[in-house]
Amino acid sequence: MKSRYEAAKNVFIDSVDIDDYIELNSGVAAYKQLEYSMDKPVKMILLFGRPGTGKSILLNRITEKLKHQKEIHYFDTPAINEKEFFHKLFKVLTKKDLPQNTEVNFSALVDFCKNLRGKREIIILLDEAQMYGSEMMEKIRLLSDTRVVKFIVSLHKTDDEDLIAKEHFQSRIWEVIELKNATQDEQTLYIHKKLLKKNLFEVANSIKEKNMKLIHVFTQGNFRECNKLLFTIFEICEYYDKNEPSKIKYENISRKIIEMSAIKLGYIDV
Amino acid sequence: MYDIKLLEEEWKRYKKKKRKPLYAFIFSILILGTLAFFFLNYKNVIVSKFENNESVVVDKPKPSVILLDSALTTLEVKKEIIEKSIVEKSTNDNNVEIETDDSFTIDDPMRYKHPNAKKVSITVTEVIKKPVIVEKPRKKMHLNIIETTSASAYKDVAKRFADTSDTDDSLFLARTYYEKGNNKKAIYWALKTNKVNSNIEESWLIFAKAKARSGHKSEAIRILSSYIKRSNSVDAKALLKKLKK
Repeated sequence: MKSRYEAAKNVFIDSVDIDDYIELNSGVAAYKQLEYSMDKPVKMILLFGRPGTGKSILLNRITEKLKHQKEIHYFDTPAINEKEFFHKLFKVLTKKDLPQNTEVNFSALVDFCKNLRGKREIIILLDEAQMYGSEMMEKIRLLSDTRVVKFIVSLHKTDDEDLIAKEHFQSRIWEVIELKNATQDEQTLYIHKKLLKKNLFEVANSIKEKNMKLIHVFTQGNFRECNKLLFTIFEICEYYDKNEPSKIKYENISRKIIEMSAIKLGYIDV
Repeated sequence: MYDIKLLEEEWKRYKKKKRKPLYAFIFSILILGTLAFFFLNYKNVIVSKFENNESVVVDKPKPSVILLDSALTTLEVKKEIIEKSIVEKSTNDNNVEIETDDSFTIDDPMRYKHPNAKKVSITVTEVIKKPVIVEKPRKKMHLNIIETTSASAYKDVAKRFADTSDTDDSLFLARTYYEKGNNKKAIYWALKTNKVNSNIEESWLIFAKAKARSGHKSEAIRILSSYIKRSNSVDAKALLKKLKK
């Protein structure tokens, strides 16, 4: 027999699927800000935040929403080298594949862009931009100076190196949008909405306020960490449900299970 | 799937670790509480001792009644006076009127006897030197000693009585010796108790019973009658009735 927790567990598999997107106030605000910035005559926009704050899904969502209104392209994975990147860019700009055994001349590409000024406005969303080298970033900046290609650069924020990177970007007076971790209320809403989207009302109801508080303490409101923790919680629940049902209360997820999950994921150092 | 059993073990370890500070806190609170309790108690004892010392109650014997302890004191302290009076009285008149109303005669081994004196009854009508009886705060320390029957324990109690004049100690010895059938020691400790505090009824009763059991029934009756007059004690009356049978 299939456990009720199996479906709940699958809800929290980490993905950037637009169908799984949960609209929260902070996400709506970031979306609106990004949409507004895209209409401004800024050359580059920096989307900034810690891993798991929803940058990728926001870029995904804006691509889906605006793809019929604007010429918008989402580069979800960073190019492994400069050649590959310019191949992709060439295709976006010319709408043609690059002939075999040929390479993109960067100066020619810049000239091509300049010729498009006033005719086209192309938006390119670059996810995981911290993977691009500084030389490539300089070239991206030169391309954006043509005002034909507008780059939205998504960047991880970590404690040291990416802060330096942020300063590097800011010196070029770009628009910066920062995504933050969710508050406890937002995270509670996120979890409930996710479960209710899959009609798992009873499971959603079994996570009480105090459980939500504990989950927020462990995950610090990070969506990716929250997904990981809830996946683990429901996986343990599934085990008990199938093997030791006396150890589980269906009306209330126990603190023990949440703490066991936190131990498993390393939030608690035993 | 994870190893749930291992995870449960880790969780138990984590809970133990997490509760440690709580246990330490509770333990330290208990320790502090106990220390505070003892400290306050100790302070109270010191204060009460001090207060008791400040307000020393001098229990003066009533002039109308000559008490057992006062008689004893008189006998001990004024033996020379008694000796003189015996000699004087024996030369004048061999028969001396005995006033038994408010005095009683003690015939015990501790009493001084003049070698040449005839068998006379001594009437002590006036206390020359009144003893000062100090009420001491009662201690419950003797309760621990009751549990033991060793001879050294009795010696310890007697020694402590010599230091503190605690009537609980002397009464305990009187009671214990009486129960053990040692009338002589029972009388001795009953007298000691009475000497410190003449209002302890039990010392009178033990004294009378021990006297009666050692063959001095009439004396016991006389002492009891004297005590009944001043206290109107029900228990003393019952004992008197029993002795008279």
